[in-house]
Amino acid sequence: MSGALLETKALTKAFGGLTAVDKVDLSAEVGKITSVIGPNGAGKTTLFNLIAGVYMPSSGDIVFEGKPLGNAPPHKRAALGIARTFQNVLLFDNMTTLENVMTGQHPRSRYGFFEAALRLPKARREEETISLKAKRYLNLVGLGMHADRNPLSLPLGQQKLLTIARAMATEPKLLLLDEPGAGLNALEKQSLSELIRRIRDMGITIILVEHDMDLVMGIAEWVVVLDSGQKIAEGTASQIQKDKRVIAAYLGEEEVAE
Amino acid sequence: MLATLKKNRWSYLAVAAFLLLLVLLPTQLLAEKTSILILIGIYSMVTVGLCLLMGYTGQVSLGHAAFFGTGAYLSAILSTRYDLNPWLAMLVAAIATGIFAYLISYPIFKLRGNYLAMATLGLGIIIWILFRELSQYTGGPDGLSGIPNFSIGGFVFDEKLERYFLVWLFCVGALLIAQNVVGSRAGRALKGIHGSEAAAESVGINAAQFKMKIFVLGAVYASLAGSLYAHHAHAIGPNAFDFMASVMVVTMAAVGGLASIWGAVFGAATITYISQDAIVELGRSYPRLAELDVVIYGLILMLVMIFLPKGLFVSLRDALDTWRRRRAQRGAAT
Repeated sequence: MSGALLETKALTKAFGGLTAVDKVDLSAEVGKITSVIGPNGAGKTTLFNLIAGVYMPSSGDIVFEGKPLGNAPPHKRAALGIARTFQNVLLFDNMTTLENVMTGQHPRSRYGFFEAALRLPKARREEETISLKAKRYLNLVGLGMHADRNPLSLPLGQQKLLTIARAMATEPKLLLLDEPGAGLNALEKQSLSELIRRIRDMGITIILVEHDMDLVMGIAEWVVVLDSGQKIAEGTASQIQKDKRVIAAYLGEEEVAE
Repeated sequence: MLATLKKNRWSYLAVAAFLLLLVLLPTQLLAEKTSILILIGIYSMVTVGLCLLMGYTGQVSLGHAAFFGTGAYLSAILSTRYDLNPWLAMLVAAIATGIFAYLISYPIFKLRGNYLAMATLGLGIIIWILFRELSQYTGGPDGLSGIPNFSIGGFVFDEKLERYFLVWLFCVGALLIAQNVVGSRAGRALKGIHGSEAAAESVGINAAQFKMKIFVLGAVYASLAGSLYAHHAHAIGPNAFDFMASVMVVTMAAVGGLASIWGAVFGAATITYISQDAIVELGRSYPRLAELDVVIYGLILMLVMIFLPKGLFVSLRDALDTWRRRRAQRGAAT
């Protein structure tokens, strides 16, 4: 029944002399939470940017739903069903929280300048659907009552939830979460785990990059460990916790990756 | 719910008051200044186009007068040398300017921020030089004259008041279209690009395409305004479209608040009044001061950017909103 929604095959990205991602094979199973962990500088965010289309690989392939993504730019990948959040949040501060989520509906709506300029019925109809769906996603992350606020007036924890709502509004098949737990307190992290599980239960495949081991071990169904750009281990959470190479990479027994 | 109803009521009232003012100004209040009121309408169109590009999409242009100029010159050349009907000349000019903007947008939007500003500045200067040097078409530094009036059937727009209503019909149309775009899916895409291009791309917004489209729309606005200007003034010269003209439009946009459609009209009105009336009056008493107009624009731009980065118009509106809310609260308390 299941299979890989997204696979990377010998994916490599070099910046000058530095190979940030080195022949990484990764497979995200449909409807599962796959977590990518690793010490700072392990290449996690580069891997994300490759999947999202921000960087083009130096070599190797990314296959989504059985088709190679090739050189598709980020906006095309969003339309295909790959959504992401950012480590540094990147909310639109010139719009309300609801409007931020409404931007997420962009690839699922069609009307353009012309229909907008003349306020044609098509524009009004679509706009109604967009705002209805956006409210639903805002409620999903529990920010329904803050629809009219400026996103930057929200505490960081809620800003992070808002970026998830915005990504969810693109109605993705694959959701890439880049350190959603960073900067959150224990309570916020707990509700974040619950939210991620709830999204998984909606049938959405998740790849999670995260530093917080408790968060990862609590929700990830498959864990991939990167160190210095290379995959050094993968397995279930309990397997990973016992893996000697992983412990070495984190505690820095042999080689310390800064 | 009540708040939105109230807000709607206020904005309908504001639009109604604005339209009433448009009728009263040239007929009752400021009849002797109709020429300036016409220019305000023309510059409002140019400024609104620039606001869409700069204020909403966050892409700086310091060469917007170039498109204003191509509209004016193409209209003038086609209607004087080729005897084309002014309406047709205006249409051809707008299409040609739009295509030109489309072609130029490919190389120019490979640049960002200050580099984009420099490139548009260069573009503006190149176009201005072409206006001056292609003298067999443009009349060189002397420009072109004898540009005919618009007419419909037998009705000729030969009175200032008639041209005033024509210009403002176009201007209000342009404002309404801009307002609709800003509040739409496309408007959110533009604001998203301003907020964070990476985030905009991540939700499926094709940033390059939207920048190109809004650049073309702004250019077409400027071109239409240029044609209206040519057929109103009947004579044009290159200096109305030089680098200072571009800076003046940027100043108008900044005074209005960059990301505000109605602010653009306010900014255009303020700066046009200063340049066409106040400085002229001042020059009568103190001839030396009239030469300082460039300094005055620079000073206004600096002061607005430092003290009122949201622009004079938006700052005033925000202050009014706060005052109204406070008064409502006090009313509720007693």
